[in-house]
Amino acid sequence: MSHESFDTLAATYALGALDGDERAEFERHLAGGCAVCEATLRGAAEALAALASSGPPMLPPPEVKDELSRRIAATTPGRRAEARPRPLVWAVGTLAAMIAGAAFTGAFVAARYEGRLGQMAREAASLRTRVERDAAALREQIAVYRNAVDLLRDPETQIVALHGLGPNPTATGRVIWHPVNGGHAFVANLPAAPPGKAYELWTIGEAAPQPAGVFQVDGSGRGTHRIPAVEGGKPVKVFAVTLEPEAGVPVPTGPMVLASK
Amino acid sequence: MATGGSDLIRQMARGDRQAFVLFYDRHAPVVFPLILWIVRERADASEVLQEVFWEAWRDAGRYDSARGSPEAWMVTRAHTRAIDRVRATRRRGENRGTIPSALDRLPESQREVIELAYYVGFTQTEIADRLKQALGTVKTRMRLGLERLRDVVTTHS
Repeated sequence: MSHESFDTLAATYALGALDGDERAEFERHLAGGCAVCEATLRGAAEALAALASSGPPMLPPPEVKDELSRRIAATTPGRRAEARPRPLVWAVGTLAAMIAGAAFTGAFVAARYEGRLGQMAREAASLRTRVERDAAALREQIAVYRNAVDLLRDPETQIVALHGLGPNPTATGRVIWHPVNGGHAFVANLPAAPPGKAYELWTIGEAAPQPAGVFQVDGSGRGTHRIPAVEGGKPVKVFAVTLEPEAGVPVPTGPMVLASK
Repeated sequence: MATGGSDLIRQMARGDRQAFVLFYDRHAPVVFPLILWIVRERADASEVLQEVFWEAWRDAGRYDSARGSPEAWMVTRAHTRAIDRVRATRRRGENRGTIPSALDRLPESQREVIELAYYVGFTQTEIADRLKQALGTVKTRMRLGLERLRDVVTTHS
């Protein structure tokens, strides 16, 4: 076989279309280390890459990048540069390189496809803002759950039931309470507080009720509230919830809607 | 455009996630339309794109700039994975509109075989059957087409 036949096989191979015996034959030839065919394949790959770059670029769905970042972060702990403090010079250099890289890429693409890319970028930015907002809310929620779970593992933690009173007999709640670390209240079936009002939680021990923060409930009547520890770790005998002005008050003034027995 | 491309891969090989983000931002908008064109479904294309970049991160240490540009490295990967996907699902089709690219500057007979092979995933034998042409003719058209394409992209880029 003259080498010219291999040129044709190399082109067909580069397009992914070589099949059957010819494919096996060509792969053996390549494995033997043919510099001519390697150069042909390299040239073809560069031409096909330029062909791909000649079309309009298209932003992929943002989830792909998020998922990749997640996979990379999950599988390569400790290899990361940001895992330990770096000299400022390095950080500034990296930042400059990032800005330069982003500007370079941005300018190149934008010059060719400004309008289209601008539209896509705006959509991507608005999506990103939304995703970041959702992520922040989820992180907050996870922090509450994680803390509640930690408390539940502690043998000193108590779970106290709250019962609906007055106009809201179906309202319910649970307080997860630790005498030193404080706790969380989880309530359900409470109507949304009227405008300008909020629910306020109280811890009642030997002395007067102590304010323990205000909270709102969501559209389905549920709410979660972090209760700070009582000063000096004094025992709490009763937890109660009243309806109060939005900013909270130092002593209860409104109707009691939930209380423990 | 090639500025820093190889550097980014070297940084990725050292585990630099920030370099990966820049690398992704640079190459994903180029390879995504290619993958989408081949696999056609956006969800499939997203999966293939993720695999391709995952492999690039994993294999960054094996990249050799003497063997090709980062662009060629990524486009070759993306093409191979996309064709694997359509062949595995036996969902190859065609006539999905015009491929917006420099391919337009090739003679029709050469453009046709390159489209069927590179974008649809047919093998040389399948293309010869479809076009009712001798296998040798199909291969020669591919070779001439690729040579012409090299001229076109080097004079226009």
